[in-house]
Amino acid sequence: MNHSHSLWRAEASLLLRSNRNVLALILLLVLSAASVWSGIVQVQDQRATIERVEREQVRDLAAVEEANAGPEGEAGYNAYYAFMLTQDPPPPLAFAAIGQRDLQPYVLRVRALGLQSQLYDSETYNPELALPGVFDWAFVLIYLLPLVVIALGHDLVTAEREGGRLRLLLSLPGNGLWRRRVGLRYTAVLLAIGLPLIIGAMIMAAPAVSIATMILIAALYSAFWFGLAMLIGGATRASTTAAATMIGCWIILTLILPTLAQAVIARAVPVAKGVDLTLAQREVVHHGWDVPKEETFARFFVNHPEWRGQEEFEGRFHWKWYYAMHQVGDEAVAADVSAYRDSLKKRETMTKLLGYVLPGVGTMNVLHRMADTDIQGQLAYQDSIAAFHTKLRQFYYPYFFEEQAFDHSDFAMIPRYEPRSSGGTPPTEALAALAFLSLLVLALGSRRLLNAGREQGGR
Amino acid sequence: MTAVKLIAREEWRMLARNRSGLIATGLLVLLILVAGFTSLESRSAIEADRTRYQASVDETFDAQPDRHPHRMVHYGQFLFRPIAPLAFFDAGVNSFTGNTIFLEGHRQNSANFAEARQSSLLLRFGQLTPAFILQTLAPLLLIFLAFASVAREKERATLKLLLAQGIGGRSLIAGKMLGHGAIALAVGLPAFALLLGFAATGAADWATVGVMIIAYACWLLLWAFASVIISALVARPRDALAILMGLWMITIILLPRALPEAASAQNQLATKIETEIALHRDLLKIGDSHDPDDPYFNDFRDEVLDRYGVRTVEELPVQYAGLVAIEGERLTTQIYADAAQRQAAREREQNAFVHTFSVLSPLIAIRQLSMTLAGSDPAAHQDFLDQSEAFRYEFVQRLNRMQAELLPEIGGEDPRISAAYWQEVPRFSYSPFNPLADRTRIIWPLLVLAGWLAALCVLALFAARRIGGVAR
Amino acid sequence: MTNIFTAPAIAIDGLHHSYGANPVLRGLDLTVQRGEIYALLGGNGAGKSTTLSALLGFLRPCSGSVRVCGTDPVADARAARSQMAYVPENVSLYEHLTARENIGYFLALAKAERGGDAIEAALSAVGLTQAAKDKRLSGFSKGMRQKVAIALALARDVPVLLLDEPTSGLDPRAVLEFNRLLDAAREREVAVLMVTHDLVSAVDIADRIGFLSEGKIEEEQTASTAGPRFDLNALHDRYTLVAGAPA
Repeated sequence: MNHSHSLWRAEASLLLRSNRNVLALILLLVLSAASVWSGIVQVQDQRATIERVEREQVRDLAAVEEANAGPEGEAGYNAYYAFMLTQDPPPPLAFAAIGQRDLQPYVLRVRALGLQSQLYDSETYNPELALPGVFDWAFVLIYLLPLVVIALGHDLVTAEREGGRLRLLLSLPGNGLWRRRVGLRYTAVLLAIGLPLIIGAMIMAAPAVSIATMILIAALYSAFWFGLAMLIGGATRASTTAAATMIGCWIILTLILPTLAQAVIARAVPVAKGVDLTLAQREVVHHGWDVPKEETFARFFVNHPEWRGQEEFEGRFHWKWYYAMHQVGDEAVAADVSAYRDSLKKRETMTKLLGYVLPGVGTMNVLHRMADTDIQGQLAYQDSIAAFHTKLRQFYYPYFFEEQAFDHSDFAMIPRYEPRSSGGTPPTEALAALAFLSLLVLALGSRRLLNAGREQGGR
Repeated sequence: MTAVKLIAREEWRMLARNRSGLIATGLLVLLILVAGFTSLESRSAIEADRTRYQASVDETFDAQPDRHPHRMVHYGQFLFRPIAPLAFFDAGVNSFTGNTIFLEGHRQNSANFAEARQSSLLLRFGQLTPAFILQTLAPLLLIFLAFASVAREKERATLKLLLAQGIGGRSLIAGKMLGHGAIALAVGLPAFALLLGFAATGAADWATVGVMIIAYACWLLLWAFASVIISALVARPRDALAILMGLWMITIILLPRALPEAASAQNQLATKIETEIALHRDLLKIGDSHDPDDPYFNDFRDEVLDRYGVRTVEELPVQYAGLVAIEGERLTTQIYADAAQRQAAREREQNAFVHTFSVLSPLIAIRQLSMTLAGSDPAAHQDFLDQSEAFRYEFVQRLNRMQAELLPEIGGEDPRISAAYWQEVPRFSYSPFNPLADRTRIIWPLLVLAGWLAALCVLALFAARRIGGVAR
Repeated sequence: MTNIFTAPAIAIDGLHHSYGANPVLRGLDLTVQRGEIYALLGGNGAGKSTTLSALLGFLRPCSGSVRVCGTDPVADARAARSQMAYVPENVSLYEHLTARENIGYFLALAKAERGGDAIEAALSAVGLTQAAKDKRLSGFSKGMRQKVAIALALARDVPVLLLDEPTSGLDPRAVLEFNRLLDAAREREVAVLMVTHDLVSAVDIADRIGFLSEGKIEEEQTASTAGPRFDLNALHDRYTLVAGAPA
C-alpha cells in the first residue's frame, strides 16, 4: 500500500518535471476555466436580456392596455396589439454547452393571430460572430482535450525507446508501469477539464447529478483518446510518427468526417417545408378575405364546434371572423408543419446515429441533449409557445363570439407564458454507445501497449 | 544550378519518397476537389430552388383577385436571396443568415429559415467547402510536410555537413522556403484551377477570382514559410511539430472562436423585441393618425388641403386615407431604417473588433477576404437586406398611391381595384453585389497577409544567421 | 527440486530461438555461478542481445530452458526479474531528473526501495562526485550517464547482473573503475553476465569467456589462476575466426 503510494508519487513528479506535459495540462486547465467562465458570461447575458425584455414588455403591455382596454374596449384590438412574451431561460447546464442558443431565439412575442407566421421569426444575432461556433466547455472538451491527450500520451513507449530506457524499464521486476503512467495522465487530464466545470456548476447552482454525468462523459471521451494514444503509440516506432498519426486521426474524427456527414445530411434531408408552410399559410389567410365568410367559419368549427351558431354578424368585418380566419390558416398547414418538424428531427436522428460511431459527435450529442440546448430543445420551446398560443386564443374567443367588452380586469386576465421546465436527461443509448466505443478502444489500446512493451523489449 | 535550387530540389525528392506525406497530400487534394464539386452542386440546387420559389411567389402575387390595395400591402411579397456564384467556394455566413424574407407594409420582418437554425449542431464543426479545407486543413498538411525540413538536418548532423560544403545559412533557408513554398502553391492548385475554370465560364469575374487566388496563395505560403522557419529555429523536429501544432490550434481553432465571445460581450445587440417596442414608441411620439386632435397629422392634413386647394378632406380628388398611408409608411420606414442602421453599425463594430485580431491570427484575415470575395459575407447579406428594403418601400408606396388615386373613383362599401394592377407592381430584381466595390474591405486583410509574409521573411533572415552561426 | 540457493545463478540449456524464419539461437548452453563473471563475446548478429532478452523474459524460446536462480523468466517474469539487474547498451535515464532522483525512481519501480544511504553509496561507488549526484542528467556526458545506470544496478543489490556492452561509452580510466566495481560484486557472490564485443575489457575482468557464434557457444575459456589470466593473442585469433569480429 505504502509502496504503491510512493510509486504513484514518483510517477507524478516525473510527469510534472516534463515542461511539455505541464504546459499541456496548464493549457487545458486554463482553457477549460476560460470556457466555463465564458459560458457563464453568456448565460448571464441571456438572463439579463430576458429581464431587460421583460421590463420593456411590461411597459409595452401597459401602453396597449391604456390604449385599448376599458369599458368600451374591444377584445379584437387588444388581441391584435398585445404581443405576449415567451421566454426560454438558459437551462442549468447551458453554461457548459451553449449549443444553438446563440442562434435560436430565447425570447419571442406572439399574439393571437396565426402562429405559423410568427413562430419562425429570427432573433437578431451577428452571423459572422456565430460562424466559427461558440467557445464553451463542450468545445474545449470535444476539440482541444484530444490534442492535450495526444501531447501527453503519444510517446508513452516510443519516448522510452528513443531515450534508451525501454529495455531497462521492462527488465525491472515491478509491474503496472504503463497502468500507472496512463492512469496518472488520465487523472490529470480529467482534473484539468473537470475542476473548472465543477466550480462553474457551483456558481451556477447546477444539479450535482447532471454535472457528475457530464464529468462521466468527459471521462469516457478522454478514455477514447487515451485508448487511441496507446493503440497508435504501441504500433509506431518513432514519437514523431506517433504524434503525426494521432493528429491525423484527430483531424479525420473531428474535422473531416463531421463536415462530410453534415454535407450528406443536409443533402439527404431537405428542410424546405418551412418555407412551404409559411407560403401556404399566407395564401389561406389572405384567401379568407375573398371567400364567403361561412366557408371560413365552417372550417373553423371543425375544431371549435363550441362556437357553432354564433357566427352571424352584421357588416363586412368582425373580429371573430378575422381570428377564425387566422386559425384556419394555421390548421390548413398542419401537415406541412409536421413534415417540417419531422425533417428537423430526422436531421437530429441522423446526427445521433453518427454519434454512435464518431465519439466527438457522440459526446457533442449527449452533452447538448443534457444541457437541452440542441434542436430538440428549440422544438420543445416552440411546442410550449404553440400550447400557450392555443391558451391565448381560447381566452379571447368568448370575448369575440359573445362580444364582451374588454375592460382592464379582462386585460389582467390575459394568460401569461410560463417558461417550460427545461433540462434534458442524458440519452441512455447514446451514452451507452459512447461508453462502449471508448472502453473498447481503451481495452484494445492497453492490450496493444502491453504487447508493444514486450515485443519491443525483445528487439 | 544555384545552391538554393539544389536544396529545394532535394526537399522535393525527399518528400516524393515519403509515402505518408504523398498520401496526405493526395487526400487533401482529393478533399478539395470533392468539397468543390459537392459544394458547387449543392449551391446550384439551392439556387434552383430559390429561383423556383421566387417565380412561384411572383406568379401567385399576379394571380391575386380584385382587392383593396391595402390588402395587397399586407399580402406582401416574399423574396429569396440569390446565392453569389462563388459562394460554392466559400459559404461564408450564408448558412447563418436567413434566406427568405417577407415584405409587407409598415413592418420589417426578419430574414428567416437560416440553415444553421435547421441543422443539428454538426454544422458547427464546419462546412465542407474548398475554403474550409484551404483555411483549416491545408496549413496542417504544410506543417507536416515542412516541420522537419531544417530540424531534421540538425538532428542528424547533416546540417554541419551541408554548411561544411560552403552552403550559407541564407541559401539553406531560402532553398527550403522555395521548396516548401512551391509545394504550398501546388497544394492550392486544384482549388485555383476550380476558380479559374469558374471564371472562364463567365460565372465569376476574373478580377475577383484573381484576388482570391492571390489571397490564398499568400495564406498557404505563410504556413509553408512559418513551418520552415520554426523548424530552423528549434533543435529537434519534435519541438518544431509541437510549436507549429500549437500555433495552428491557437490561430485557427481557438482565437476565431474565443474572440467573438469577447466581441459580443463588449457590445451587445438589442433583441428584436426591444427594437420593435422602441420603434412603436418612437412612432407614437410622432403622432397618431387615428387621433383627430393629433398635432402632427392635423398639420399634415392642412398641408394636403393647401396643396390641392380645397377646404375639406371630402373635397379631395384623392383618398385621404391613402395619403395618410403614404405618409405613415414614409415615417415608419425612416424610423426602421435608423434602427436597422444602428443595428448594422453595431454588428460592424463587433466584426471590426474581431478583425483587428487578424494581426494575431491571420485566419481572420483570409476568412474575411475569402467570404467578401465570394459574396457570402455579412456585407453581401446586408446589401441584399438593403435592396429588399428599398424594394419594399417602393412597392408598398406604389400600392398606397393606387389606394389614394384609384379608390375615389370606385367608391362603395367594399372598394376593390382590378387584379390587372398587380402586374404593375414592381418585382424585385436583385443586382448582384460587387465585392470589389469597397476596396478597403479587400485591401486591409491583404495587407495583413502581406505583413505576415514580410515578418516571416525577416524572421527567416534571423534564423539563417543563427544556422550559419552553428557552423562557425 | 531446484533451490534458489543451490541452483546456478544463470542456467541456459539447449536454447533455440528464431525471429520468424530466421533462427538466432541454435542450442545455446550457458551456466554462470554466483560470484562468477562471464563475458559473452560475439560479432554483430551472433545472438548476444537475444540471449539477454531470453534471460529477461522478453521472449518465449522455441525450445530449451532458461533459469535465473532457478526461476523460469517466461513463467514467472516478476520473480526472475527481481533477482536480476540489467544495464542496457547506451542507456540514458530521465534527463530532467537528477542522478539521485533517477535511481530513487527506478528503485521504486523495481519495488526495491532503499534508503538514501544505499543510493548515496551506489553513486559514490561508480565515482560520481558529490555535486554530480544532484545534477540533472541533461548535463551529463555519455560516460556519466552509463555510470548512473550502473549505480542503479548496484543499488538494486541482486544476485544476478546483466550488462550489455557496459564499457562502450567509458574512457580507459572509467573502465578501470568499472572493473573494480565488478570485482567488488564478485566478492558479494553476484553472478555477472556481460555481453560485449570488446575482447580487451573482457580479458581484464572475466572469469570465463565464451565465444558466441551462429547461436551457440563455439568455445569457452576459463581464466587461469596463475600467471596471465588469459592468453590474449590466442584468444584474439580465435575470436576473429569464430565471430568474424573486426581486429
